[in-house]
Amino acid sequence: MTQPIIVKTVEELKDAPEEYREAVGKLVISHAINELYGAQVFDEPAIAYAPTPYAKWLTCRVAMEEYGHHVRFKQLGVQMGIPEERMIPGTGKRPLSIFEFPLKTWEEFVAIKLLADLAEILQVEDLLHCTFHPLRNLARATMPEERFHAQFGEDFTAELVKTPEGKARLQAAVDEYFPYLPSFFGGSKSRNNEIFRKWNIKQRTNDEMRADYMTRATEVATKYGLTLPEVRQAA
Amino acid sequence: MTPAADPPLAPLDRLRAEARAASWFAALGEPLVEGDLADAEAYADALDLGTLSIGQAHDWPEAERLLKSPDWSSAWWDREEALRRTLLRQAETLHGERELWTALTELTTDVGEFVHGKAATAASRMGDAAKASVHVAAGAASQAVYQLAVARMAGETASLFESKFRLFAAGRWPLGVVSTRLVLF
Repeated sequence: MTQPIIVKTVEELKDAPEEYREAVGKLVISHAINELYGAQVFDEPAIAYAPTPYAKWLTCRVAMEEYGHHVRFKQLGVQMGIPEERMIPGTGKRPLSIFEFPLKTWEEFVAIKLLADLAEILQVEDLLHCTFHPLRNLARATMPEERFHAQFGEDFTAELVKTPEGKARLQAAVDEYFPYLPSFFGGSKSRNNEIFRKWNIKQRTNDEMRADYMTRATEVATKYGLTLPEVRQAA
Repeated sequence: MTPAADPPLAPLDRLRAEARAASWFAALGEPLVEGDLADAEAYADALDLGTLSIGQAHDWPEAERLLKSPDWSSAWWDREEALRRTLLRQAETLHGERELWTALTELTTDVGEFVHGKAATAASRMGDAAKASVHVAAGAASQAVYQLAVARMAGETASLFESKFRLFAAGRWPLGVVSTRLVLF
């Protein structure tokens, strides 16, 4: 049985077991890259599609917060001794499949905020009790903004579903993007996840998080009269 | 002796200091004074969208209605976007894409958090603001800083983004063009 450890500062991380250091490093890199991908691929392009100045500036703020999350995770990574190049897209780690599809409409962006940012919330929630406190604290700092982004998705969903045309366009976007989201939580037999849980860096298995996500995504979609398409679960 | 040249990113440090010293959202709803009108006219002239009158929103609900108005002028937004893209290309040739991009991201992250707090204070002081409108205000203000940062890094010292920033720095929020009116809050 592994002795439980708590790492309160980046300085203390130097004395942690190598497996622990590598595990938290992987998580920081993953968050830094995904936050940046999200901002570049979805949030910033969405400003042009937003229908009014109110929606445009709100989207500006969301984009800047996502860029800000990247900056904060990257700053933590740098303090941990991770080279900056490893925390920037295109320099090694493959992007998640959802980032390979360029944004084409406002409805797609609203669907992504409604459902993809919910997946992001679950990922951050799992770090709220992380034994590496600098990462835990960063997760706690970003959580209100992540919740706001998901609320943004809900608010504009509520607007769009007021008309049959808007609802149809949003449903089409959900049908297109949702099938990529369950794989966001990783494979069922992930070795990384096993190590994260062994050291209490993360709390739940990928499958537990995916099941929770499916429940919560179904609830929020149903609330607005939307349906989620069938998806093949990750192996 | 030749004076030492400024470091390449020095204009951003100066802009960060200017942003810190600005009176973000402090004059929302107050009557327009001569200086506000002069700054607004300079901004309207720089937009080059024909003759624009200067209007005012007096409270948050009125500002929200205008920002969601169906007769807002997309020409105003498109003009700023076209200029920003041109200036960004110029700046990238001068400073290198990666270095410039990283510096702009760090600047807007810092300033974004700062102006968000200022917008929240103004909304709380005046009352009646929708919760999301604080984010909208912060988005508008940090976009103004970002636009001016791009202009200055491109070597432009008299862009329309300078006059737009002056309005924010004086505590106003230029809400944009609705029909043929440039509206300030």
